[in-house]
Amino acid sequence: MTALADVERFVAMGTRIEVHRFGAGADDALAAARRAIETVDDALTIHRPSPTTALNERLLAGQEAAIDDAVLFEALVAIDAAHAETLGLFDPTADRRFGAVGWGDVTFDRATARIAAAHPVALDFGGFGKGFALDRACAALRAAGVGSACLSAGESSIATVGQHPLGGGWPFAIPHPLLPGRTLIELELDDESLSISSTVGAGTQTPERAAMIRPGSGAAVTAARCTIVVDRLGASAEAMSTALIVADDARAARLIGAHPTHRFLFDLSQEAGMPAPSGRMQVQ
Amino acid sequence: MTDPKITERAFDLSRRSFIDRVLMTAAGAGMAAAAPWASAAVAAEPTKSNPVRLGVIGTGDRGRALILNIAKTRNCVVVAICDSYAPHLAKGRALVDASVRSFADHRAMLDAGGLDAVVIATPLDRHAKHCFDALDAGLHVWCEKAMARTIADCGAMITRSQAARKVLQIGHQRMFHPTYLNALKRARAGEIGTLTQVRASWHRNNSWRRTVPGDATDRQINWRLYRDSSAGLMTELATHQIQVGNWFLDAVPTRVMGSGSICFWKDGREVYDHVALIYDYAGGRKLIYTSLLNNARYGCEEQIQGSRGTIEPELGRIFQEVPPKVLALQRMHKDVARGHKRTVPIGGATWFPELPVTTPGESLGWGEYDETMLQFEGFGEAVRAGKPLPGLLAQAYHASVASLLGEQAMDRGEALTWPTNLVAV
Repeated sequence: MTALADVERFVAMGTRIEVHRFGAGADDALAAARRAIETVDDALTIHRPSPTTALNERLLAGQEAAIDDAVLFEALVAIDAAHAETLGLFDPTADRRFGAVGWGDVTFDRATARIAAAHPVALDFGGFGKGFALDRACAALRAAGVGSACLSAGESSIATVGQHPLGGGWPFAIPHPLLPGRTLIELELDDESLSISSTVGAGTQTPERAAMIRPGSGAAVTAARCTIVVDRLGASAEAMSTALIVADDARAARLIGAHPTHRFLFDLSQEAGMPAPSGRMQVQ
Repeated sequence: MTDPKITERAFDLSRRSFIDRVLMTAAGAGMAAAAPWASAAVAAEPTKSNPVRLGVIGTGDRGRALILNIAKTRNCVVVAICDSYAPHLAKGRALVDASVRSFADHRAMLDAGGLDAVVIATPLDRHAKHCFDALDAGLHVWCEKAMARTIADCGAMITRSQAARKVLQIGHQRMFHPTYLNALKRARAGEIGTLTQVRASWHRNNSWRRTVPGDATDRQINWRLYRDSSAGLMTELATHQIQVGNWFLDAVPTRVMGSGSICFWKDGREVYDHVALIYDYAGGRKLIYTSLLNNARYGCEEQIQGSRGTIEPELGRIFQEVPPKVLALQRMHKDVARGHKRTVPIGGATWFPELPVTTPGESLGWGEYDETMLQFEGFGEAVRAGKPLPGLLAQAYHASVASLLGEQAMDRGEALTWPTNLVAV
């Protein structure tokens, strides 16, 4: 069987986006997916004026804010849920500048769409935004009648719609971030999303890339770690992979234990002086 | 004067097509405010009956080019020409009808009367004097860019024209060019995202020095190379592109810093042959400008850089930011087409190499006509109405001030802030 396919390739969310569609769907399905992602970018970016930068200005000034932007509101709802699901380890306010101040200091009232903070904070959606954007793009594709699609946001965030065009799951191999040519793990996605987070590997030391910050202390995570999370939603996968990177052993075990076939934490501290055999990796 | 091979009908169609394109590109949300002069210039249907009578001061290369463009218009006619250098005057005479009067002195031309307006295409340091004399004679003025040799004179030209209630229009033809108007329209529509930088350059590989005939002085012929008569690259070339930068960034600079040198042509000239400047705009935006006279690889370019793409109006193209393909996903496509299902190696950091965009881009369209002609038709209508084309003079003034401020910043080796004492336009 062969399947008609086409692709939309563009830059958004600070990275390269690819949307691959296979088979049926409306002619403008890819354009709709792109619009969905760019709409999220416009709402959540902190690199140019946006509803989020306007919100941050108010929160940094100690002022309450009304959330007028529907995308930002929906993202905040998802953030609130992800914060709880990750035992508070995923925190969009984690920032070295504010130390121990976190999402717990933020009051978000869904009913009135108002937000306030006990201390000055600023939101940075980071990788969560990419997963959130992919979720909305997947929804747009489904609404356009697409039954099979694969989306990538910088290759560290993957989302799939339906099954592989040749049937079954979408097989992916995640490379070892320190050992060229070696595979860390192979996974199959079935209408699911994937998030990869790492403190080591290509690009993690680039100047514009923010360090992973541990909520509660504001300290940067220096341990050599790589996490991989599969979830029905990209936003949840992103939040969880970030949480696992910053988690202590006890909380990491709790999070992984809830879904051991979907959440993975690799301690690569023994791999830093590569090459090292893959058997020394701790795979949980 | 038009090409005699072109029939009147073909000429009309070509002209109409050009104006339609200007109208089309100048229309739309936001464009009325961004280019109000363009719509105003083409709104009227100019006719040759009772044309605006122009006297041209300066019939050197530029002045003669202007005469040819004026001849294409439907509402302006050259009735007098003037140049203090006889060979230039003779070349000007060859372009106009025998009935056109010629003068060696601009005062004599003004005193002779019979003019509605003057066109000034003289060395930069004469612009202000010629403008003042024309205004004092009760005439409207069209003057080549840059406006004047000093910022003070630029302001004085404006205040004198306002006091006299006469039109003062400066030659910045890009503001009437359908490609530029289309580029601005698409930038305003958000097609290239948030504009944060304009990179502009005018690079040539020649000395810019002209051969001096036996009956002339070097300063007469090569006035662009001497500081008392020109700011060199800044006023003769950069002014155009700084105007484009201001226009697309919809602002004037907050400050400028730069470096200028006589780097290659060490032939006694006084003006820089190598300039590099950074103009800051609100919000951290920038115009990066370079001009040099010993390398033409990049020629004359403007790159309007946004978060989602780039517009190069001088080259007439718009580029979208298309990142390189993810090879693993590309391979998956091929596998699926062949009916193979293989594991897709993927994953890694967000970072990807910052390679230049190599896609061919999309054409912005070109004007088949000469936008300089449209400037004059617009000027003719402005003279008839006794009212300047809206917004045009402010653009020119700010471009001239910015170019002269850039010269000062290079001379002083200091970052200079935008003047706070500019006249209101």
